[in-house]
Amino acid sequence: MVCSWGGYTFIINLIPMHVLLCIVTGRFSSRLYIAYAPLVVLGTLLAALVPVVGFNAVMTSEHFASFLVFIIIHVVAFVYYIKGILSPKMFKVAVTLVVSVGLAVCCAVIAVLIALVASSPTKGWSGRSLSLLDPTYASKYIPIIASVSEHQPPTWPSYFMDINVLAFLVPAGIIACFLPLSDASSFVVLYIATSVYFSGVMVRLMLVLAPAACITSGIALSQAFDVFTGSIKFQLTGASSNTEVDAAETSSSTAESQTDAVKTEKPEETAKNRPSRKSKKKEREHGEKPSTEAKAEKKRLLALPLESSVISLLLLVLLGAFYVVHCVWAAAEAYSAPSIVLTSRSHDGLHVFDDFREAYAWLRHNTDVDDKVASWWDYGYQTTAMANRTVIVDNNTWNNTHIATVGTAMSSPERAAWEIFHSLDVKYVLVVFGGLVGYPSDDINKFLWMVRIGGGVFPHIKEPDYLRDGQYRIDSQATPTMLNCLMYKLSYYRFVETDGKGFDRVRQTEIGKKYFKLTHFEEAFTTHHWMVRIYKLKPPKNRIRGKTKKSKSKTSSTTSSPKRSGTKKKNPWQ
Amino acid sequence: MESFRFCFLMLTIAILASPALSDLVLSKVDRRIYLTSHIVRISSTMKVENAGSEKESKVLLAFPEQQAKNMAYLIATPHEGKGKGKNPVVALPVEAANPKDMPAALTLYSVSLPKGLAEGDSFTFDVLAVFTHALRPIPEQITQADIQLVLYQDSAHYLSPYAVKVQSLSVKLPDSRIESYTKLENTKIHGSEIKYGPYENIPSFSYSPIAVHFESNLPFAVAHELVREIEISHWGNVQVTEHYKLIHGGAQSKGEFSRLDFQARPNVRGASAFRYLVANLPPRAHSVYYRDEIGNISTSHLRGDSKKTELLIEPRYPMFGGWRTAFTIGYGLPLQDFLFESDGKRFLNITFSSPMVELVIDALIVKVVLPEGSSDISVAAPFPVEQWQETKISHLDIDGRPVVVLKKTNVVPEHNQFFQVYYHFSQLSMLREPLMLISGFFFFFVACIVYMHADISISKSSASYLAKQQWEEVQAVIQQVQNIISRCLTTHDNLEASLRDLSRTGNIQACKAARKAADGLLKELSKELKPLLTFLQSSPSAAQVEELVAKERELQEKVMVKHSTVVDGYEKKLGARDIENRVALQQQKLTALRQEVDDLLEFIDEI
Repeated sequence: MVCSWGGYTFIINLIPMHVLLCIVTGRFSSRLYIAYAPLVVLGTLLAALVPVVGFNAVMTSEHFASFLVFIIIHVVAFVYYIKGILSPKMFKVAVTLVVSVGLAVCCAVIAVLIALVASSPTKGWSGRSLSLLDPTYASKYIPIIASVSEHQPPTWPSYFMDINVLAFLVPAGIIACFLPLSDASSFVVLYIATSVYFSGVMVRLMLVLAPAACITSGIALSQAFDVFTGSIKFQLTGASSNTEVDAAETSSSTAESQTDAVKTEKPEETAKNRPSRKSKKKEREHGEKPSTEAKAEKKRLLALPLESSVISLLLLVLLGAFYVVHCVWAAAEAYSAPSIVLTSRSHDGLHVFDDFREAYAWLRHNTDVDDKVASWWDYGYQTTAMANRTVIVDNNTWNNTHIATVGTAMSSPERAAWEIFHSLDVKYVLVVFGGLVGYPSDDINKFLWMVRIGGGVFPHIKEPDYLRDGQYRIDSQATPTMLNCLMYKLSYYRFVETDGKGFDRVRQTEIGKKYFKLTHFEEAFTTHHWMVRIYKLKPPKNRIRGKTKKSKSKTSSTTSSPKRSGTKKKNPWQ
Repeated sequence: MESFRFCFLMLTIAILASPALSDLVLSKVDRRIYLTSHIVRISSTMKVENAGSEKESKVLLAFPEQQAKNMAYLIATPHEGKGKGKNPVVALPVEAANPKDMPAALTLYSVSLPKGLAEGDSFTFDVLAVFTHALRPIPEQITQADIQLVLYQDSAHYLSPYAVKVQSLSVKLPDSRIESYTKLENTKIHGSEIKYGPYENIPSFSYSPIAVHFESNLPFAVAHELVREIEISHWGNVQVTEHYKLIHGGAQSKGEFSRLDFQARPNVRGASAFRYLVANLPPRAHSVYYRDEIGNISTSHLRGDSKKTELLIEPRYPMFGGWRTAFTIGYGLPLQDFLFESDGKRFLNITFSSPMVELVIDALIVKVVLPEGSSDISVAAPFPVEQWQETKISHLDIDGRPVVVLKKTNVVPEHNQFFQVYYHFSQLSMLREPLMLISGFFFFFVACIVYMHADISISKSSASYLAKQQWEEVQAVIQQVQNIISRCLTTHDNLEASLRDLSRTGNIQACKAARKAADGLLKELSKELKPLLTFLQSSPSAAQVEELVAKERELQEKVMVKHSTVVDGYEKKLGARDIENRVALQQQKLTALRQEVDDLLEFIDEI
């Protein structure tokens, strides 16, 4: 799991928690030790082999819990071992000795650890983990984490959308887990409790909740089926055995009715019931044996009436069937529908918006293999995989500075942006624009995050410059900084000519600056519905001898141009 | 270019000095140059006359090197008047000729006439020559708004090693917008057609260059490379997969591409671009797909009737000059339409080239994948192709399927002719793969069965193995014990039943008999039980088993006592109520004991 997802920290904290719980509740056994100690050792070694994790597996606080519990379990195991070889008296002496020495050592170690952890700014926790522990953390300090829609807390409807009836079965499952609380069921309870909390903090951790919810509701369903089928079975077999019971009773010529017999036997039966309640299974098997009539009588008391259990069974099956239908629907509509190919249903049938792939295919076939493409990081992996071109930033968001650089370029005016992109050896800039067809998750809507992330590293980008009275707008009320930034220009270049007004269907407003020209970029490709627009950086201008002073500060790599421009009289670009 | 043409002219003039090859004379030549597509087709009707005395059977056709380089296809057919049928069966054999005294700048082909021409005889035949890349875009780079202009160069006079008596030339253009054209004497223009001639009595090797510079916005679709894979499955399908690498071969586009302009005025801004291609697939084509490396391309339409299937595909983006794209189309065809049998050999008869309309293919590779086990493979193609063999390993293949690879460069739609691949294939080989699967699963299940039944532990003397075996034995014994106990219990039940009978019928004798039988049975059972118990002595569950047996004994005794009491009571003719009272206490104990025995049985059952 370490290979695939950072969510593994959940597991490596959950397991120690469970082990700790077992130890505290006195359920320590050699099995627990055998299961846990190798897991920590091997797990840490294997995790450290994954390049992303590396030494983080022993250095960050996320992994600390497992080591702490590792130490504790060894201490406990040692204590049990000592207890086994020493006489009780000696053991007491040893305990006092060890406890006094151990406490001192522990205090010292803990003090050192706290000092170490406290010395690092994030207390050794990574940003994502911290935002889990403190849901407001990310929005305060790390915009790049807060900017991802997956990192937002989910809404209530999304719970019902994602786990549907399981939401109601989970509490029942938790209760079922408690009935006989074993090591395994305590783990399930712990798992569901923590995952519910985490899914409440971030939408994407719904992924962690899903298996837990499935397990607990499975337990709940299985228990329910157990009870219902058990009682049905009893009622059916009971009917046949009742005749025998009746016969026995008539032999003693006491014409007691069947219900009376039940009543008379009731007190003693229930008394017997209690001790043997521990394992319901036993009793159930009992009920099946026609030879044990007395038992069957006992069973009858736990049984529900035949009709109600049959109806409940049918209802449960129906519930399951509806859930399956819902799952198929959700899998088809919500999960499988790729976010890269969009569809809309109109009166004349299905309309496909395949603009992303159109743009990526264009990049793939009509640009040089070495060309670099700059876009917001959301499209990084897609560009790499589908367009087969090098990107500047992609969805692995470790390198915050790099993303901030692109964010800064997007929020800078054209010339500054051109310089940044040119210094990054970028040939093409890709922006996603939904204004023409009303595709809401486009770059203009994400733009504030670019400003924030960019501003986090390059302080000359200030968020208030892009907001008018704290409001983000792109209409005529927008700030000049906003209307002159690269993102605005690349998105709305020649947009006004489509309808004459420049009405943005996502923002539901007319754009602020309608007619403008690009000086450092040229439109290279725009897809059918304008959803992806690709711009090419114009080559650097030739320098003219008289004007070299002006562009001295430029970082652009036009080293050979002065010589050439010397021979040329006229600069073709001016 | 101009200077080159001039050189060429000088060269041809030099050629003029060389003597005529033979005494043939072309009495009439009608040439029609079709520039209505990016594939240039020159169709000429020639009447050849033998002016000499010797019998001639070959006519030479000359092409300047410049043209010959681009020539994709050349066919000569006897002239059949108006009803022009290009029947390949009657095509005249054409082969490259290389007479000694010909200048190097000319490439010559000789047409063999069906029968030799005697003195004064004449023969009329048609020649169709197809050229690719013969239209040169000028200017070479255009913006989106520009129209695409192309230049075509040829000679107004028919270049021939023979003297031509009467000749005419007409050039058909896509439309009447002509930038410029060479004006010679007798040049007429009718709408989109330029006519040169007629010219009379032109000597051999005469060359009079003309150039036509005209607007052409036709799709310049060129496939750089096309790999066609035709896979035969004798289960009833011929699967064709075509991988295209397409380029717009016209003028390179430069500068901005504006979607706005393209959408607003597609015929003006982006006239040179093409948006779609049409493929005429064979009839009854099914499972058609159109995709590229990043998935299905949703912009395609399929129309089909009994004669053909028309597939209209749109690339992901409009193709402007110099833009490239790559895609794959695939379709399945019914086997019986394409695979036939003759003289014990099977042969595939399928078209060679791409089904796309007006597509030039620079390099075409046709791979025919035959079923595994085919042998004696031979290919019959209507024109020369490069060929070799490969093998392809696919699903469930052992030694791979034989693949015939045919390669041809410079392919035009005229090459879309049927070719044949002959091979031997035994019908039994078809069963190979299903049998393989069946036997594979069979052996898998057999292995599973063997595994479940065989004892495959390595060390027969290891502690765990012995313990396991012992445990199994113990379990078997416990099972036996359980059986015996349950038989005891049924005996008890029988006794009870006999008591009930007694109360109903009062038949004491029967009851006693039942008692006797039960006694005997129980004795037997306890005898059986003994060795088992001694065996179980050492096992961990011995205590429970012993307890069970003890309880059962007790129960047995109680039942006996009860039975005797009741029987006694009946014998003494006591009232039913009385007997009931006597037995009541025993009955209670009995139920309690029975309960315990049942519990124990269940407990043991769970071990």
